Amino acid sequence: MKHGFLQARALNVLFWLAMSALTLLPVWWMFLVSVRTRADLFGNPSFLLDVSSMTWGNYAEVLANPTFQHYMTNSLIVATSNAVLVSVLALLAAYAMSRYALIGKDNIFFWVLTNRMAPPAVFLLPLFLMFTGFRFGDWSLFDTRIGLILLYCVFNLPFAFWLLQGIVDAIPKELDEAAYVDGASTFTVLTTVIFPLARPGLAVTGILTWVFAWNEYLFASTLTSVHARTITTGLAEFVTVTGTNWGQLAAVAMLTLAPAVLVLALVQRHIVAGLTFGAVKG
Amino acid sequence: MSRVTLQGIRKSYGAVTVLKPIDLDIADGEFLVLLGPSGCGKSTTMRMIAGLEAITEGKLLFDGRDVTAAHPRDRNVAMVFQNYALYPHMTVADNIGYPLKVAKVAKAERQAQIEAAAKTVDLTPYLARFPRDLSGGQRQRVALARALVRSPGVFLLDEPLSNLDAKLRVAMRAEIKHLQRNLGVTMIYVTHDQIEAMTLADRVVLLSDGAIQQVGTPDEIYDDPANLFVAGFIGSPPMNFLAGQAKGGRFAAPGVDDLPCIGAGSLTLGFRAEDAALAEAGRFSGTVYEVEPTGESTYVVLQMGIHRVNLRCDKKFRPALGATLRFDVAGRQCLFFDSASGQRVR
Repeated sequence: MKHGFLQARALNVLFWLAMSALTLLPVWWMFLVSVRTRADLFGNPSFLLDVSSMTWGNYAEVLANPTFQHYMTNSLIVATSNAVLVSVLALLAAYAMSRYALIGKDNIFFWVLTNRMAPPAVFLLPLFLMFTGFRFGDWSLFDTRIGLILLYCVFNLPFAFWLLQGIVDAIPKELDEAAYVDGASTFTVLTTVIFPLARPGLAVTGILTWVFAWNEYLFASTLTSVHARTITTGLAEFVTVTGTNWGQLAAVAMLTLAPAVLVLALVQRHIVAGLTFGAVKG
Repeated sequence: MSRVTLQGIRKSYGAVTVLKPIDLDIADGEFLVLLGPSGCGKSTTMRMIAGLEAITEGKLLFDGRDVTAAHPRDRNVAMVFQNYALYPHMTVADNIGYPLKVAKVAKAERQAQIEAAAKTVDLTPYLARFPRDLSGGQRQRVALARALVRSPGVFLLDEPLSNLDAKLRVAMRAEIKHLQRNLGVTMIYVTHDQIEAMTLADRVVLLSDGAIQQVGTPDEIYDDPANLFVAGFIGSPPMNFLAGQAKGGRFAAPGVDDLPCIGAGSLTLGFRAEDAALAEAGRFSGTVYEVEPTGESTYVVLQMGIHRVNLRCDKKFRPALGATLRFDVAGRQCLFFDSASGQRVR
C-alpha cells in the first residue's frame, strides 16, 4: 500500500518536472542567448550555460538605451493604469449588478460577455480610423498612452466584470444592510465592506488585466508609432534590415518578462484564493 | 429611545401584496415581538422599519417624526440580523466600533465606548479576535454589542437566536430580556418561535398571511385568542379543537354531552390541554389513542369522533390504549369560534 503511494507520488513529481521543463525551456534558451556575445551565439550554440564566457553586456546596453527606457515606461504606465481603472470600474459594475434590480440585468451581463468573444483583430481597422479620425485640434487618440489605456479597458472590462461579479455575489447582502443600518453611505459600504472583502478577487483582476495589457501586441503595434510605443512592440525593432541583434533582443525579452513574473509570484496566493472565492464560502 | 408608529403601512411587490395595511403604536421602552409562521410578513415589517425595504403605502413615524422615506442611516436604529452579519475582515473591536467610526467619533472616545459595550455583553477578552474565531453565542453577542454601542432609538432583532443550539438559545433569551429591561430601550423582535415571543414580549403582534391577527400581552394572546389561527398557533401542545353544531344555547359534537354555549350554527370548541381534568361524570369522553409521558406530566391523546385532543394528566398516569376516558373543562375555559370565519364568538 505504502509502496504504491510512493510510486504514484514519484510519478506525479516526475510528470510536473517534465511539464515545468517543457514550459521553461524557451525561457532558458532566451536567457542563454541574452548572456552570450554575438560571436559565442553563432560559434558555439549550446543548451548549457558556460559561466566563464557569460556576459551582461547585452543587458547593460539595452538598459542604457533611452528608447528602451521610454518603451518600458510606456508599458508600465499603460498596464498599471489599465489594471487600476479596469478593477475599479468592474467592481462598481459588479456591485451594481449584484445589488440593484436593474432592467434587463441578465441581458446586460450576456451582452458584456459576448463583446469579449469577438476576435480583437476584427476591430483593428475601425479602431484605427477612430483613433486617427477623432481630433481635438492637433490632438488625437492615435499614438497616445491614454488611447491605449482606454482601449485595453474596453477589452479587459468584460472579463474583469465577469470575474468580480461572482466575487461580489458571494459577499452576503446582509453585510451591506448591516453597514447601512450602522450609518454608512453607499460609498462607505463600498470602501469599508465590499472593497476589503473583494480584495483577493481584485488582486486577481488587477494582475490578469495588467498582464493582458503588458503582453498586448496587436493594438499597440497598430495604434502607436513613436510616443506611446510599448515594450512588446519595441522588441520588433531589434529585427532590422541589416540583421537581428539576437543578444539584445533576448535581453529585452527577459526584461519584459521580469515584471510579469515578479507580480505573479508576489500575488499567486491571492490568485488561487480569488479564483475559488465563490466556491469556498464561510 | 423612540416611540414607533406605523400608520396603514402596506408592502407589495408589483401586484403581489405581502403585507396588508397595518397600524401599530409601539411605546417608548416597549419590548414588542412580531410573531408568525414563515412568510407571514414579520421580517418585511421589521425591514421596513429599518429602512431596508421601501414602504409601498402608509406612514412610519419615530417620535412623531416622519421617517417613511428616510435612509437607514438617518433613522437611528440598530439591527441584529439572523446570521449576525458581522464584518469578517474586522476584529470584534472593529465590528463593535464600526457605527462609531462611520459617525466619525474620535478614536479615544470610540475605544471607551467599544469597551463599555463589550463589557455589557461579556466580550472584553475577545476584542482582538476575528468573528471566525468565535462560537455562535459569542458572535451573537458581538452583533448585540454593535447594536448597543451607538445608543440607538430603536433596537431591531431579526430572529437573532434561530442559529443557536437549544441550550444557548434559552441563556441568550434571558440575556436579551435582561439587557432590554436594564437599558429601557424600545426593542422590536421578530421570531417564529412562540416560546421566545411569550417569554420576552411586553406585547406580541401575531401575524399571518400578511395581516395582524392579534395584538396583546402574552397572557391575552394565550388566554383570550381572537381567532382560530391565534388559538392554534400559541401553546404547546396547541389548543384542542372540536367542530360541532350549536342550537338553542347547547353545543353538540362527537364525545361532547350537553355543553352550554353562545352563538349558533357551525361552531368550533377550543380548550387547552391543561384546562381539561379527568372526571367520572365529565361532559366529554373519548378513547385513548396514544400516551405521551414527558417527565413532568403525561399527555394523553384521545380520539373524539374525527378529532384528536390532548389532555395533560398526572405524570404517573398510564391509561390503557383504547380505554374510554371522561373529562371536563370549566365553562370559562371553553372558547367558541365561528367555524366558517374562524373568529371568536363572544
